Amino acid sequence: MNKDVAIVGVGWEGFHPTSVDYSYKELIYQAANKAYHDANVDPRKDIESFISVAEDFFEGTSIFDEYTPDQLGAVLKPMHTISGEALHGLISAYLMIRSGLFKIVAIEAHSKASNIKSITEVTRYALDPILQRPLNFHPDFVAGLEMQRFLHQSQCSISDCSMIVQKNRYNALSNPSAAYPMSLAETKLSEDDFLAYPLLESHIAKPVDGAIVIVLANGDVAKDISSQPIWIKGVGWCNDSYALEYRNWGELSYVQKAAKMAYSQSQITNPIEGIDFAEIDDSYAYREAMTLIALGFADNTTIRGLIREGAFYPDGKLPVNVSGGSLGVGYLFDASGAQKTVEAVLQLRGIAGARQLSQPSTAIVESWRGVPTTSSAVVILSNQRE
Amino acid sequence: MYPFHHPFDRPVHYEGLFPVTNRYTYGIASEKFFRALKEEGIILGTHCPHCDKLYVPGTIFCETCLSELEDWRAVDNVGRVDTFTVLYKNLDGTYRTEPEIVAFIRLGDGGLVHRLAEIDPKSVLIGMQVAAVFKPPEERTGNILDIRYFKPV
Ligand SMILES: [Zn+2]
Repeated sequence: MNKDVAIVGVGWEGFHPTSVDYSYKELIYQAANKAYHDANVDPRKDIESFISVAEDFFEGTSIFDEYTPDQLGAVLKPMHTISGEALHGLISAYLMIRSGLFKIVAIEAHSKASNIKSITEVTRYALDPILQRPLNFHPDFVAGLEMQRFLHQSQCSISDCSMIVQKNRYNALSNPSAAYPMSLAETKLSEDDFLAYPLLESHIAKPVDGAIVIVLANGDVAKDISSQPIWIKGVGWCNDSYALEYRNWGELSYVQKAAKMAYSQSQITNPIEGIDFAEIDDSYAYREAMTLIALGFADNTTIRGLIREGAFYPDGKLPVNVSGGSLGVGYLFDASGAQKTVEAVLQLRGIAGARQLSQPSTAIVESWRGVPTTSSAVVILSNQRE
Repeated sequence: MYPFHHPFDRPVHYEGLFPVTNRYTYGIASEKFFRALKEEGIILGTHCPHCDKLYVPGTIFCETCLSELEDWRAVDNVGRVDTFTVLYKNLDGTYRTEPEIVAFIRLGDGGLVHRLAEIDPKSVLIGMQVAAVFKPPEERTGNILDIRYFKPV
């Protein structure tokens, strides 16, 4: 049996700070239409199974999987919902195809953040109810603690993290779908507006609304229906201890392990040589730097120099978040990994427009479920089947 | 992008509210931990003999080797600041009149997240020693707030 799996279609609607006209179902419907057109498939005939990614508290509806089939063309078809990151959904679809039971599977992820009137409360509700919630802190204290430990270990400064914000929002200028682009001249970031020192308000990605649908197919089908299939070369996922108390604050061991799993499947021994660009978590600016270390592109002694020399700009050694990332595009919560995957697909197809990189062949995509989690997933994509 | 224009008098959404209340059972480990906090003013951990790891707060199983843990030990009420942050905002997004220091205090191989007080935020350092300040025994109710805060020693 052919073990290759490819992404054969992507579609998205967004991304905007608010979307007053479309309901979440309509956002998804728009994205699905585009993805199915891109993949050249009829959802009612060709797609054999569907996966949606959603978290009840963000949706404002319990048992949300009831609400996912119709807008995707999945009524009376195999369908399930994952309460995880979009990359977990993508990996599940990949595994379903690898099992041989399905040839074409679609995944959907979305954010209707503008409808959540108490986002901070939802995040607070993710904290340990016995050990942390009684303290009544703004939940971003977790990011503040993590950033402080990172700065301590890496000798990076708050300004180095501001440079990541500048880069990603600058990159977003070349992405028409991005909600928060800003030119370098304009991003004189105020360095006294702290939420959780050393974490600045400007270092936190702002929410956006949007929906993304991705169609996957097995190798034989992909070859037939798509002129530009993007191959999934490796997948990995990992969670650390949930407890803030048992955590090693200075490193992202779970990201490192997820990447190791994906690298080994992709036969990548040295990511610096094997990877052309990265779309990774930047929901807080410091997380991009920490994640680059966990993925093996830098270490605590080199990260500061690499940021300062511009190594992660589109013309640098390793372009990171060319799409603008969550800081430039906007933060899509658990759909963030899908936005990053779409960017990787566009770049690898060579159709990323003004921000197109020069002939990339392999990309790494990583995402994280946000504060207070230690939940990350990694996917490696390539436009080369072999 | 959005072709439909809504005059302000047209209904475009419906407001919803979901009042959630829950009860969280402490379980064997947390009951023992908070009973010791309340009645004796001590912080308890459990030691895994296989991994030589001291879990604080104590737990009845080791997350590394999954052994059952029975060796309960009181740890020193003094620990080190492993990392810290200074919060400028309240939970509701409003700015605090005075910023508040939150620290992760390393105790054994675990630790506690708590307030840090009796120190200027600018003077806090990673690695500094801090001690738990307990409420008076008659005010303790068996939860994490029985520790009022940590302070430098
Ligand atoms: Zn053990």
